[in-house]
Amino acid sequence: MAIADTTHAGHGDHHGKPHGLARWLYATNHKDIGSLYLWFAFSMFIFGGVLALCIRAELFRPGLQFWQPELFNQFTTLHGLIMVFGAIMPAFTGLANWLLPLMIGAPDMAFARMNNWSFWLLPPAALLLLISFAVPGGAAAAGWTMYAPLSTQMGMGMDLTIFAIHIMGVSSIMGSINIIVTILNLRAPGMSMMQMPMFAWATLITAYLIIAVMPVLAGVVTMVLTDRHFGTHFFNAAGGGDPVLYQHIFWFFGHPEVYIMALPAFGIVSHIIPTFSRKPLFGYTSMVYATSSIAILSFMVWAHHMFTTGMPATAQLFFMYATMLIAVPTGVKVFNWIGTMWQGSMSFETPMLFAIGFICLFTVGGLSGVTLSIAAVDIQLQDTYYVVAHFHYVLVAGALFSLFAAVYYWFPKMTGRMYHEKLGKFHFWWSMIWFNVTFFPMHFLGLAGMPRRIPDYNLQFADFNAMASVGAFCFGLGQLIFLYNMISSIRHGQPAPQKPWETADTLEWQIPTPAPYHSFVEAPTLEVGENGAIKSMQGGKHH
Amino acid sequence: MATHQATPARDNRTLLLKLSLLACVMFVFAWGLIPVYDALCRVTGLGKLLQPDVVSATPAATLAAPIVLTFDATVQPGLPWQVRPLVSTLKARPGEFVRVDYEITNASNRRVIGQAIPRYLPAAAAEYVKKLDCFCFAQQVFEPGQTKRFPVVFVVDKSVPAGIDSITLAYTIFDVPGRS
Repeated sequence: MAIADTTHAGHGDHHGKPHGLARWLYATNHKDIGSLYLWFAFSMFIFGGVLALCIRAELFRPGLQFWQPELFNQFTTLHGLIMVFGAIMPAFTGLANWLLPLMIGAPDMAFARMNNWSFWLLPPAALLLLISFAVPGGAAAAGWTMYAPLSTQMGMGMDLTIFAIHIMGVSSIMGSINIIVTILNLRAPGMSMMQMPMFAWATLITAYLIIAVMPVLAGVVTMVLTDRHFGTHFFNAAGGGDPVLYQHIFWFFGHPEVYIMALPAFGIVSHIIPTFSRKPLFGYTSMVYATSSIAILSFMVWAHHMFTTGMPATAQLFFMYATMLIAVPTGVKVFNWIGTMWQGSMSFETPMLFAIGFICLFTVGGLSGVTLSIAAVDIQLQDTYYVVAHFHYVLVAGALFSLFAAVYYWFPKMTGRMYHEKLGKFHFWWSMIWFNVTFFPMHFLGLAGMPRRIPDYNLQFADFNAMASVGAFCFGLGQLIFLYNMISSIRHGQPAPQKPWETADTLEWQIPTPAPYHSFVEAPTLEVGENGAIKSMQGGKHH
Repeated sequence: MATHQATPARDNRTLLLKLSLLACVMFVFAWGLIPVYDALCRVTGLGKLLQPDVVSATPAATLAAPIVLTFDATVQPGLPWQVRPLVSTLKARPGEFVRVDYEITNASNRRVIGQAIPRYLPAAAAEYVKKLDCFCFAQQVFEPGQTKRFPVVFVVDKSVPAGIDSITLAYTIFDVPGRS
């Protein structure tokens, strides 16, 4: 059986790091797997980013410049799929792998070999998406949502995409099972659930969401597959099926998916804001309950993506009010972060800058979300650039900025070296400015009626599109600063102390820097406050 | 000494099995949504487009202004039909029975089964067009080269809002794959 329990893998305690390719191919160490996830996610981020720049290059001017519309559609589709399933989700899983055992005092993830599987399924899936560009008919071009009946008609690129989604789904479900078992069963004595770090809470709830909805996505793309090849009529009106059914099942997955990409970000920010405000997190308990209620509510709002499908008015009203309700727990969170900063002794290192940038821009994205939740308004804005602006504010300035914040924040613990602070700050301000230059004008484009996923547009949209394209290229180039900072700091950065941030109080800062290869092979006994704050630690051995 | 052996590996396995089961249940749930939506549509009457409507007795025509009715049909590219309404447009008052004939030809040399899906412009008019007879209520079988003529009988309900002064009834004909 391929699933080994870490509590049985005692022999791992006695030897050091394996070397060469085998270290990564057969990796069972949570830190190695975490690093693999993070590097994989970053390379997918670059790949998805290049696709985004192909889109922006075409949209720089009206008319067709570089690509035929068919290829343009493949770019938009693959950009979405790769950023969601290849970049954001694996990056959060990677962070969870790296940090969870350190934060809760576990020796490793619960199922170390399964952990290896969940990572190594991802590269083949990415490869399927990559080679789908080369098959007859090209890659999937139905948008990342793959709506039927378009997706039931395309070439074999769609089949490759469906298989890639199956594989990535299995990977993320296995990763989630690992996270849940680790958190529920492997916490060090003394750390109760209501004392856990917010990051652990957020990844725990996210993992449950993944297990609940990724199989639904797998189910609906399987229906597309059987409609395509095996004569079923799930989405074929003529055979008694219904294309709208696809949207219902897809968005039953799709809306919780939004929170799968947002909740871990909330967890990260709930550590960084307190550390650099030199105050404990304001309202820890309400944070836990807010996170849970967002997760539960996320199952009840899916049809707000479908206001234009001809739903009865009663259903529209239900989904509209349910959606607005989500703004309440989200508002609690934003309030608590601001409450944490209130009268704090704040300093503005790179992680803090990204965390504050996150709060500001995520709130902008949240507000445009409330605007879109109004059924009467959404009918006007459906599938316009307003929607594109909205979800890039929550996914780029939300999920991605929080990931940058996290990488800068935990970089010293992971590598034993400090990153280059000035370059980090430059990376933040560069990203902040060009992000807004790229995406803020899209609100205006959408309000004026520019549809998304179209390679050409009317002349009146030209100026804002040119602006957005310039912003996108600058934003993209800026990410190379991040890459340079990471690589050069891993090699030549200043050695980092055990606790580079003075008030960081969670468990991972109680162990040496860089984190020992085998940490907490013997569980420590802890006395813990809220949000994982360690008051005292006894025992706990590392190798 | 506190060690992680405090939670035996068996607990981890049990939880692993439970969570895997949850994933499998959710996979089945995706299929389970189909009958749920089906029942929901039947209860709320959302899927009524393809069933005969019930019209009370003999609805007398009102004195309201006649509505311009336009008939149309489209065939998806690559499908073997030729479809045309015998009348392309006529005028009728709300409450008046209307009959229009459609002629459908199977232009291929194989046997095909077709299903017509009606569509209305403006879409808001859909609920006021009460169809008593329509070839869209059932799948239709065509022998190679066969031409069939179908009547469509309907009434525009008297409650139709005054703003709707023209209605287009358009059919799209699909073939039913896997059955021919």
